[in-house]
Amino acid sequence: MNQRIFIAAALILVFWGPALSQTGVKKKRPLPYEYGRVIIDNYSDKADLAPVVFEHWIHRSMFTCRVCHVDIGFAMKAGATGITAADNARGYYCGTCHNGKRVVDGKTVFQSSCSKKVTAEDAKRCQRCHSYGLKVASDFDFFQFSQPLPKERFGNGLDWEKSEELGLIKPASFLEGVSTSKGNAFVVQKDFALDPKVEGMPDIIFSHKKHTVWNGCELCHPDIFMGVKRGTVKYSMVDISLGKSCGACHTTVAFPLTDCQRCHSKPVQP
Amino acid sequence: MFFATDFKAKMITVVLVLGLVGLCSVRAMGGPQSSAAQANPAQDTWRKEFNEVCSKTQAAMTFSQEELTDLILRCDALLPQIEKLDESQKKVYMGRLRMCRGLYAYVLDAKRNEKK
Repeated sequence: MNQRIFIAAALILVFWGPALSQTGVKKKRPLPYEYGRVIIDNYSDKADLAPVVFEHWIHRSMFTCRVCHVDIGFAMKAGATGITAADNARGYYCGTCHNGKRVVDGKTVFQSSCSKKVTAEDAKRCQRCHSYGLKVASDFDFFQFSQPLPKERFGNGLDWEKSEELGLIKPASFLEGVSTSKGNAFVVQKDFALDPKVEGMPDIIFSHKKHTVWNGCELCHPDIFMGVKRGTVKYSMVDISLGKSCGACHTTVAFPLTDCQRCHSKPVQP
Repeated sequence: MFFATDFKAKMITVVLVLGLVGLCSVRAMGGPQSSAAQANPAQDTWRKEFNEVCSKTQAAMTFSQEELTDLILRCDALLPQIEKLDESQKKVYMGRLRMCRGLYAYVLDAKRNEKK
């Protein structure tokens, strides 16, 4: 009897041990088209709908971060907005653009409001967003879209900043009837260097100008960066990797932390 | 017969007079308007003020402490009006107002800190 228990325990250890040791340790690196993807499931399940799959890359190619996260009001954390079908139907959040009326890039944006009583035709429209776990063909093909754009190593594998500089993408910074200001002339501080904690690591050159072009000011201050005096708040890579400060965007949508040189860009002084 | 006709005529006159008086009083009081027209002036007022106050965030760094304080007070004055809006509108604009006010307060703090 004891021998049987011992063999069973040994077998469990041999087969389950390695599997369990992987749980929660290894994080799968997302594929370029998956980077920035947000699965929204606040109420979908209760409404017998598949969770929403939100593709950041499609939307960021058309609008600046500010339009969606300041003007429309999407929270910076996945699921924190608590979007409801009623919000969309009233013309807020997704319904700001997805109302069957607004034209973006010469195309009328499909309507987003989905109720429980839907026709077969409606169901197809609902599944364009409520597509998690379903095989739904998208109007947008990442590989086709990314083909002419300058490449980078991580994240979506694209240099979004350069893409805009070259005029290959034109993210709109103003949404008629929603945005308060058309101007892009942000008055900001000059670029500055931050000393890294690790000796020999190149300095971080932070450009306010680069960040405000897409984000504005209020997206970062004071919610993400609350210190008013430079140097008083210490930022650690551990905190950043947990999604704090720079990590709010640079672990989710903007180029990831693995692309060290893009922030640690100032050569070490001899 | 004559009595009946006279009574009818008097009744019609009374009804017409009452109708006229009613119409005049309603117009004098501002009258019932279409629901859209009723909703718009109030909405226009807070939206106009919101747009006016929160369209300046990009220039927050250039404002004096007095100007920033004034903008913060204007944000605070908007809050009770936004709290009265429907659920969706309230959720969106409370968030937008919080960010806008937060930035002005942050820049004001930074400016006060600079002077120290």
